[in-house]
Amino acid sequence: MGADELRIVLFTLQMAATATLVVLVPGVAAAFLLAGYRGPGKTALETLLTLPLVLPPTAVGLLLLELLGRNRPVGGWLADHGIEVVFTWKAVVLATAVMSFPLLVRSARTAFEEVDPRLVGLARTLGCGPAAAFFRVSLPLAWRGVVAGTVLAFSRALGEFGATIMLAGNIPGRTQTLALAIFHDTQVGRDARAATLAAVTVALAFGTLWLTEWLFRRRARTEGA
Amino acid sequence: MSVEIDLTLPLPRFALRVRETLPAGVTAILGPSGAGKTSLLESLAGLRRGAAGRIVVDGEALLDTARGVALSPEKRRVGYVPQDSGLFPHLSVLGNVRFGAHADRRAVEAAIDTLEIRPLLDRKPATLSGGERQRVALARALATRPRLLLLDEPLAALDVRLRDRVLPWLLRVRDEWALPCLYVTHNVGEALAAAAHVLTLREGRVEAAGEPRALLGGLASEAEADSGIENLLAGHVVSHDQAGGITRVRSATGLDVAVTLSPERSVGAPVTLAVRAEDVLVAVAPVAGLSARNVYAGRILSIERTGVDVTLRCALDPSGVEVLARITPAAVAALGLRPGGPVWLAIKSHSIRLI
Repeated sequence: MGADELRIVLFTLQMAATATLVVLVPGVAAAFLLAGYRGPGKTALETLLTLPLVLPPTAVGLLLLELLGRNRPVGGWLADHGIEVVFTWKAVVLATAVMSFPLLVRSARTAFEEVDPRLVGLARTLGCGPAAAFFRVSLPLAWRGVVAGTVLAFSRALGEFGATIMLAGNIPGRTQTLALAIFHDTQVGRDARAATLAAVTVALAFGTLWLTEWLFRRRARTEGA
Repeated sequence: MSVEIDLTLPLPRFALRVRETLPAGVTAILGPSGAGKTSLLESLAGLRRGAAGRIVVDGEALLDTARGVALSPEKRRVGYVPQDSGLFPHLSVLGNVRFGAHADRRAVEAAIDTLEIRPLLDRKPATLSGGERQRVALARALATRPRLLLLDEPLAALDVRLRDRVLPWLLRVRDEWALPCLYVTHNVGEALAAAAHVLTLREGRVEAAGEPRALLGGLASEAEADSGIENLLAGHVVSHDQAGGITRVRSATGLDVAVTLSPERSVGAPVTLAVRAEDVLVAVAPVAGLSARNVYAGRILSIERTGVDVTLRCALDPSGVEVLARITPAAVAALGLRPGGPVWLAIKSHSIRLI
């Protein structure tokens, strides 16, 4: 693996980490609110948030392109303020973030739903406001689901292809991630390089998931629960 | 210190409607399952939306819908102990006790001492026994220096043996912390042991309110009293007789009682004597040659048929102390018992528990 390949790996990790950071707060917030929400339209809202999981990523990418293209309302407004998104690294982050978001939300939401609401009520009677109750009770009790969701989101971001290629293109040195490079290499007949990069993605994904499992186990032991 | 409640809360099957002024001390709330007891406590704690009316504790309105006052739970300073203790599983015992946002160190220390949980502080709730959990939950509520304590069947999840071990802690909290306290229970014995005032709820309404003994005299004999303690007498330790294996206690009403040797209670210490109604022997003539150390003359105030048993309400001479005795209808017939008639009541030292 040469310097070029290493750069692709680092770029991919950077993009995935940034996308994960971007979705972390809104994702956890959405999961928490959805778990506690009992009003009308709950199912519709949940379906909408899950949609990117089942849509073809290229369709999501196309939707984003429609939104952010230079001649579109949002994209035009951004361009007026000197922000270029499409075909830049920002597009990579955005596309992977959108695709990763539902994974985080689903996992974290389930975890929040399993927190006994009476414990939250008790925290309130013990003097916690809603925010303190969230950080001192809900979040610590749901942390496994939140971490698992974050890891899933990160892993998904590492391998995102369809939405990224639609929104960010496949520009070596600028927007080319591992998944895009593998595709490109096979197209131009550099099969050995494609295989090497594929092996790297397997190692990365395996490492991430294994680290999480190990963390859970260790934590479960020290908690004695 | 009093608690004024004028509350309505719509529930699925009926509306909870409670209008009571509770005196200081412990108020027991009895009633069948689904009568709205837990909903009442949750409304007082501020955990129920839709509760309307007025709640005033110690002069401060926690809720006054007419004037737009509805304090959030964290501002009410109401300590709540649910049936299953509701400890935070991710925190140690100390973390739980310290959890309260107003928990100052002195209150935390005092709560730990009252409930004697110092040896448990590093443990996680999952490793505690049921009785220990309830003590920790009580300590956690006390550490916030609440103005009102709400206990939702704190002993219900415990078996009878553990219940007897936790009840003294509750009495201790009552005596040492002097808080108004609402105590939901199914158990008449607990209500009699702990409460100065009783409310019974049925379908969201207050069915009866008043003095425990007056109110529960009849109830105490129903099936609900199965594991209850019907006779309770406050007093203090007079002396220990090592050789005789007894401890002498004098009740506040001047009755001398011998109980099994309890050297852990120092002379002069206040104690409560507890005797089950079925442990009181009844005779129609002066008793001689009996092993029971406590024999008292008295007369029958009333005879009530209660289920398969009969409950005698007796007044002792000359103190006037009331004692409930439970015997069979056959015994009533054989002895020819009638209201106003003289009786001698005998109680074995072993049948008396100190709490």
